[in-house]
Amino acid sequence: MPVLKGKELRIVGFLCNWCSYGGADTAGVGRFTQPTDLRIIRVPCSGRIDPLFIIKTLMNGADGVLVSGCHPRDCHYAEGNFYARRRLEVLHRFLPILGFEPGRFEYTWVSASEGQRWQQVVTRFTEQIHKLGPAPKIAGPEASKTLRQMEAAL
Amino acid sequence: MAKVQFIKSADVKPWLAELAQQHRVFAPAYDGEALIFRPFDPELEVVLDRAATMPPKKTVFPQSEMLVDFTYSKDPEDLSRVRIEARETLPEGKTLVFGSRPCDVRGFTMFDRVYLSEKMTDIYYQARRRNTLFISLACSTIENTCFCHWVGSDPCDHTGSDVLAIPVSGGYLLESVTVSGEKLLDSQLLADGASRKAEADKFCHEIAGLLGSTRDLSQAPEKLLAVFDNMEFWEEVSAKCLSCGACTYLCPSCYCFNITDETSGMKGKRLRSWDNCMSAQFTMEASGHNPRPTKAHRLKNRVGHKFSYYPAIHGGVTSCCGCGRCIKSCPAGIDIREIVLKAINFAPAAVEE
Amino acid sequence: MKYQQELKDSIRKALPDLDVVIAWSSGFDPLHATPHFIRRDEDIDRLEIGPLCVHNLATYLPGLRGKKVGIVVKGCDSRSVIELLQENLIKREDVTIFGFPCTGVVDQTKVRKALGNAGRVDFCQVASQTLVVGAGGTEHKLRLSKVLADKCFSCQYPNALLADHFVGEKISPSVAEEEGYDDLAAFENMPLDERFAFWQKEMDRCIRCYACRNACPMCVCRDHCLAESRDPHWLSQEDNVRDKWMFQLIHAYHLAGRCTECGECQRACPMDIPLLLLKKKMNKEIKELFQYEAGVDPAATPPLLSFKMEEENIKEREW
Repeated sequence: MPVLKGKELRIVGFLCNWCSYGGADTAGVGRFTQPTDLRIIRVPCSGRIDPLFIIKTLMNGADGVLVSGCHPRDCHYAEGNFYARRRLEVLHRFLPILGFEPGRFEYTWVSASEGQRWQQVVTRFTEQIHKLGPAPKIAGPEASKTLRQMEAAL
Repeated sequence: MAKVQFIKSADVKPWLAELAQQHRVFAPAYDGEALIFRPFDPELEVVLDRAATMPPKKTVFPQSEMLVDFTYSKDPEDLSRVRIEARETLPEGKTLVFGSRPCDVRGFTMFDRVYLSEKMTDIYYQARRRNTLFISLACSTIENTCFCHWVGSDPCDHTGSDVLAIPVSGGYLLESVTVSGEKLLDSQLLADGASRKAEADKFCHEIAGLLGSTRDLSQAPEKLLAVFDNMEFWEEVSAKCLSCGACTYLCPSCYCFNITDETSGMKGKRLRSWDNCMSAQFTMEASGHNPRPTKAHRLKNRVGHKFSYYPAIHGGVTSCCGCGRCIKSCPAGIDIREIVLKAINFAPAAVEE
Repeated sequence: MKYQQELKDSIRKALPDLDVVIAWSSGFDPLHATPHFIRRDEDIDRLEIGPLCVHNLATYLPGLRGKKVGIVVKGCDSRSVIELLQENLIKREDVTIFGFPCTGVVDQTKVRKALGNAGRVDFCQVASQTLVVGAGGTEHKLRLSKVLADKCFSCQYPNALLADHFVGEKISPSVAEEEGYDDLAAFENMPLDERFAFWQKEMDRCIRCYACRNACPMCVCRDHCLAESRDPHWLSQEDNVRDKWMFQLIHAYHLAGRCTECGECQRACPMDIPLLLLKKKMNKEIKELFQYEAGVDPAATPPLLSFKMEEENIKEREW
C-alpha cells in the first residue's frame, strides 16, 4: 500500500549491487513500508554509472533520479564510489544549467545492512519529487509554435 | 507566355498570409543568428536582403522522414511466430517556399535526375517535389563565395522555380515560370507588371555583370579522374578538413541519405535521414572494412562526385549550384573552387625513368 | 600583426626538422583566414597572424600523431595543446609550439551582422582597435570591441602557456581572474523554466552536421563517436529537439574538466547555436568544485580522472 496518496510519479533509481541494492532488499525483508514510485536499475557499482544515464533518463521524461551506492571507503571495488562522487556532484551542478530543478536528482550512500536508512532515503526522495511535481517535458516536433512564443518572451 | 505581375514590398506579407491559406508557406526568417526557412508566421520578420544560412532543402528532402511505420504482433498460440504489419507513410499537403534563391532551387534539379529518373522513382521525394512550389528571389548582392556563373547559372536564373521575383523600385516584379506558378499570381494584391519589365531586365543584366569572369570547368570531370589515385594531392587539399557534415548538409544539391529503423517495444518506424560522405560511417561496411578510411578519401568523393562522376552520367551537368555555402560555412574555410581549379591545373611531375 | 615577421623567421629556422607547421593564411576572402599547412619554405610567406586567426589548430594534432609537427597557438589554443599532453594523446617531443601574444580574434557572426548585406569584400585591414573592411564599394570601420569574440573579453590567458618559441612581448589578461565568469550573469539570472525553454529553442535548428564535435580539440574519439553508434543506441536519427539536445549534453559531459574554452564548438556551428555558454558554465562549476582549470598545467590530472578520500567542496552526506 503506497504511503503517499495520489498519483505516482516516475522515479528511477540506479543502485549498486553490493550495498544499496542489498539495503533495499533488507528493507523489503524487514517489511518496512515504502513509497512505490521508484523503479530500480541494478548496476555493479556506483562507479559504473555514466552521468549520461541520468541525463538520458530525465530527457526521456523521468520525474526524478536517485543514485545510491556503498558508503565512501566501503566500495566493493575499493574506489569506484570515489570516482562516482565527483562525477555525480558535477552532474548535480550541471542539471540546473539545463533547467532541471536541482532536487530532481540526488545521490546518497546506503549499505546492505541499512534497511531502515533505505526506507528513509526512498521516502524522503519521493516526497521531494512529489513536491516538485511532474518534470517539464521536452517539446515534440509539433510544439514549435510554443517555442516561438517562448522566443518572444525571452 | 509568362504572366508578369508587380507587388509592393509592403504587400509581401499580406500576400504570403493569403497563400498560407492553401499552402504550408516557408519564408526566410532569423532563428537566433541563423537565417533559415521557417513556417510563415505574420509575427516573424521575413528577411529577403541576403541568402539564407540554410537552403530550403528540408521542404522537399527533410532532415529525417518516416518512410514506413510498423508493428510486431505475436501469435498467442505460438509465441515464436511474429507478424509484422507495415504501413507506408507518404507525405501529404501543399508547400510553398518564398524567397529561395535561384541557386537554392536549381539544387533540386540535381535531385530530380537521381530520384525521378526513368529507371527509378522515389515516391517520397516525388510526393513532396510535386506538391512544393517555389517563388524564388533574384539576388541583389554578390558575395565572395558566389560562383553560380561557373556552373551555368546566374542571379536571375528561373530554372526549377515556379515564380521568379526580381527587385524593382518599390517592390518586386513577379514572373511566372510554370503553370502552377501562374496560378499563384492571381491575387488582388498584385498589379500588372509589364511596364516594369525593362527595369527588371536591366537589374538582371547589371547583377550578372557583378559576378566577374567565369572559369571553364569543362575539363573538370576528366582532370579530377586523372588525380583520382594521387592520394598525395588529396591529402594536401584535405589537410585542414575537419570531416564534419556542414558543407554537405548546407548544400542545396547534396542528396545522400541513410535508412535506419527506430524500434521501441513492439512498434517502430523506418526513417530516412540525411547522411554525408564526409562521415567515416558513410561507407563503413558490416565487415568493418571502410573503403574511404581517411578524410582525404572522403573529400575526394565530395568534390569528385559533384564535378566529375555526376556530370559523367547526367549529360555533363555539374552537381553544384554555386551558392558557396560550403565555403562560407566551412569551419576550416575549405574552398571547393580552389580544389577543382587545382585539379584542372594539376600537372603531374615528370615520371623518372 | 607586428610579430608576424619574427614568427616567420622562427618557423623558417625550425622547419627543416619538422614534417609540417600548422599556422594560418588568408582564406577565401580578405575577411577570412584559414588553417595553413606549411611543408615547404615557400609556404612560410603566406603565413598570417591577427584577429582573423580564429581556428584552434590544436584540433589537428591528434590526427598527426607520429609526425614532427610545429603549431602556432594563441593563448586559448595553447591550453588545448596542454590538455592533449595531460591526457597523453600527443607526445611533447613531437610537437614544437610557436606562441604569440593574442589581442583577440573576431567573431565572424558579429562581423556579418555589423556589415549587413554589404556584398563582396575587397579588402580588410587591422588598424589599432578597428577592422577596416572594404565591401561593396564602401569602407566599413568596425570597432574591434564590437566584433571580437565574446570569449576574448573574459580571456585569462592571452599568451601561450607553453611555447618553445614565443615571439613578441607577453600581454596581460583582459579581465581579472575573479571576473572571468562574469559574462555568465545574464544566463545565471534566467529562471530554470526559461533555461529549459532556451536550450530547446536553440537546439531546434541543429542540423546534426557535428561540426561542433569535429572542430573540438578535445573530441578525440573522431570516427568512433557515440552520436553515430547503433549499438549502444544513444541517439535516434529522428529530427527532434530531444536527440539534438542530448548530443550536446553528451559532448558537454565528455568535456567535463577537459574543456579549454576555446569556443570552437560555437564558432564552427553553421547555425550559430550558443554552445560555448553551456561549456563555460560547466567549467565554472568545475572550477568552484575542484579549483581546477583544464589545460593550464601539463603535469596536472583532470579532476574526473582522480579523487580525494575527503573532498573539500562536496557535501553529499548532507542530503
